[in-house]
Amino acid sequence: MEGRCPRCKAVLWHSAKHTDTISFAAAISGLILFYPAITLPILKFSMVGQNGSNSLIGGIYRMWIEQEKMLAILILLCSLIAPLMHLLLTAVVCLSIRLNHFPPHFPQWLKYKCWMQSWSMLEVYAMGIIVAYVKMMHDGDVSVSGGTYCLCALLLCVILSSQYFYEEQAWQHWEQNKPA
Amino acid sequence: MTTSAQQRGIARCTECGKLSHLPDLGDNSVASCPRCNVALSFRKPQSLQRSWAYTVAAIALLLPANILPILTVISFGQGDPDTIMSGVVKLWVSDLQAIAAIVFIASIAVPVLKLVILIILMLVVQLQLPLNRQQCTVLYRFIHFIGRWSMLDLFMISILVTLVHLGNIATVESGPAATAFAAVVVLTLLAANSFDPRLIWDLDDE
Ligand SMILES: [Zn+2]
Repeated sequence: MEGRCPRCKAVLWHSAKHTDTISFAAAISGLILFYPAITLPILKFSMVGQNGSNSLIGGIYRMWIEQEKMLAILILLCSLIAPLMHLLLTAVVCLSIRLNHFPPHFPQWLKYKCWMQSWSMLEVYAMGIIVAYVKMMHDGDVSVSGGTYCLCALLLCVILSSQYFYEEQAWQHWEQNKPA
Repeated sequence: MTTSAQQRGIARCTECGKLSHLPDLGDNSVASCPRCNVALSFRKPQSLQRSWAYTVAAIALLLPANILPILTVISFGQGDPDTIMSGVVKLWVSDLQAIAAIVFIASIAVPVLKLVILIILMLVVQLQLPLNRQQCTVLYRFIHFIGRWSMLDLFMISILVTLVHLGNIATVESGPAATAFAAVVVLTLLAANSFDPRLIWDLDDE
């Protein structure tokens, strides 16, 4: 059963009991995949014997040293900090609920998790890789490298951990079990 | 005719979503959410003013973002700076229509569409235009969903600048439009976030 808004028909409420196990597992897997995904080369490019490659973190670093500091900070936030904090906070929140132990900062963590989730744009980054690949296809040899596979797996983890996380349930759990 | 939560004196917390009764307060006192302690209000505070401010700023920056060069691909010392539009045209003529369409949608159609829809929604609220409320809500959900895809071009620039860094043979440089475009994307995201779609439905209650 579900309850809908009488005006705009948005789903307001579900009667199904949810479990955050998938979210927790995906967050942990995502954290494990995070380091290889941002440091391994994503694409490799070669042209008349010269080779180049890029990684997620390398791209941010290059923008920074090429005096595109604002852009570097924005890309750092959307493709690195936000997904990382989203996964980390999801894991911590799920763990707190599991252990039934709520630190005083639990409400803040839950709020930061939502904020980070809204700025995490790894799926757009993945599309950026495809566009970059096709764009350079005619100028030289482009090949997909290990970082792309890790990034795709990481993206799957990010999607699963946000799809199977039920905020209202986490809030209610905290409200019922919080230390007085 | 449905009764809104506001008419029953119930406010929804913007942070945690808890519904609570909001007593009629004086001008200087604030009620806070019993669950998470954030200040409560029936609608997002100064929703229209903030959305208008972000929208106007985004429109102003849309001009430099589209006129100035965003990317220069230099191979063997040659290469012209590309604006967003000329980049799309170049992709189109080199038989990469699908990618050209994706870049066009993400970098030109989405920001412009988003601003146009936001202006329509804000005018509906301000001038009480008799547009279908349900359709307006669908439009709002649409711009909320597509907004993030404008970042595509910026991520692609970051990838290309690093990938194609081959000294004298080929380099890719970003241009001044990149920063302006980034600002447009962030401002439109903020504008959509500060708009409260419930204001559209409130028109029916007055
Ligand atoms: Zn609250």
